[in-house]
Amino acid sequence: MRKSLFFFSGIALLLLGDFFLFFTLRHKQMDLAANIGDMRLVVQELGLSDLALTTEARYTRHPAVSDPVSPFMDHPGDIEHFPSGSFLRPVK
Amino acid sequence: MRVISKSLNILDYALSLLVRQKLKNLGVFIVFTAVIFLLASFQLFSTALKESAARILTTVPHITVQKMSAGRQIPYNVDYDELLRGIFGIATVKERVWGYYFDEKNGANYTVVGLDQHHISPRLAEVLSWGGLPQRRGDVVIAEPVQESMQLGSRERFSLFRPDLTMKSFKVVGRFSRGSSLVTDDILLMTRQDAADLFAMDQSFITDLLVDVANPTEIDTIAAKISARLPGARVITQNQIHKTYNVVFSWRSGFGSICLLTSLFAFIILSWDKASGMSPEERREMAILKVTGWQTSDIMWLRFCESSVIAFTAFVGGYSLAWLHIVFFDGVLLRPVLLGWSVIRPSFQLAPPFVLHDFLLIAAFSIIPYMVATIVPAWKSAMVRPDSVM
Repeated sequence: MRKSLFFFSGIALLLLGDFFLFFTLRHKQMDLAANIGDMRLVVQELGLSDLALTTEARYTRHPAVSDPVSPFMDHPGDIEHFPSGSFLRPVK
Repeated sequence: MRVISKSLNILDYALSLLVRQKLKNLGVFIVFTAVIFLLASFQLFSTALKESAARILTTVPHITVQKMSAGRQIPYNVDYDELLRGIFGIATVKERVWGYYFDEKNGANYTVVGLDQHHISPRLAEVLSWGGLPQRRGDVVIAEPVQESMQLGSRERFSLFRPDLTMKSFKVVGRFSRGSSLVTDDILLMTRQDAADLFAMDQSFITDLLVDVANPTEIDTIAAKISARLPGARVITQNQIHKTYNVVFSWRSGFGSICLLTSLFAFIILSWDKASGMSPEERREMAILKVTGWQTSDIMWLRFCESSVIAFTAFVGGYSLAWLHIVFFDGVLLRPVLLGWSVIRPSFQLAPPFVLHDFLLIAAFSIIPYMVATIVPAWKSAMVRPDSVM
């Protein structure tokens, strides 16, 4: 068997796997879309501003309504130390 | 046909060369794949979160009015009839007490939301998996993770501490369904009076005023009017909240920068390795190829094939692994960074859309630098003079 044929077969197999992944993704997107209405209702009725992605720090739980002094809120000079703070860019 | 056949022969030879130095090339391939996996995983993770925010937060209040003092949000007492008098176009106004409760027993942070009883819409019952809505003082609706964190089991009653360490009792009357977990996982919904009591606030105080306007095109105008009437207020519009989620997950976050810098250094090392020149064996081999009739363009093509095989395979492999990581495992490697030390760990699921420009961005960050880094060495190897080596 030619090496190039072996190489192209490998790539084709990977792409076939991607195709399967794409269908799984579509299925998952449809499952999640079924709950969107419920979540919009809660957001509307409770007046929520943020997603509950992390609950460790106030300013990463609610980045949309966090205080401007958040990184120093516990002690003066207390620099950012929560892991989730490394994931979120500061909001100006 | 002849060109294709020739190209395939060169590709075969390139693959043989790669296999001959399999340890070195495997190392390059693994590092390259890992870098692309990391970059793509971060990109897909942030795209999924941005997409969720964009789809779910469409119903946030048009205007949220909070009071600030010394850079912090504070409770305030406002006669909103007086505040909003003469501002036309306001559809509804809700007063709310909202805040965080730190449970010292288990280290969990809860988000307390207190609304006036007549503002707790009966429609909310649709998103409860069990029970009903708060009807009287002491009633509370919680989410399953809160129930687990408090270790309530089948008990319906629990107590929380006020700031002066006296206890306030609650009765669980309902539970949010898992379907709304992305917004409710840490929420305790109660009446505004209960929330004020828990935080030891005056019953007439609120933390925010939620204003909905009749015509969304007037949001900014009305927000500006409210801001002018309430000194020291922070007036947040719906648009500002949407913008926040567009910028908050980006490459400029600390973790995003680390991903980018890691990939940059990996490519610098790869480029350095490639540009550092050929071994005497490689030079000898190129000289032999030239003696046997290979043209300069053939050798450059051979080198291009070698680089392309590594770059393309690593890109397809790394990018596919990233999708697998996000779709099947919900970003299990990145999730701990976002959740950090959270005691209540929201169970969100990720299903990012396929975005062409994200795909091209990852491709541009990975394939192009590698290919560029291999151009000069390819040219150098093609320029080898057979008589200088043999």
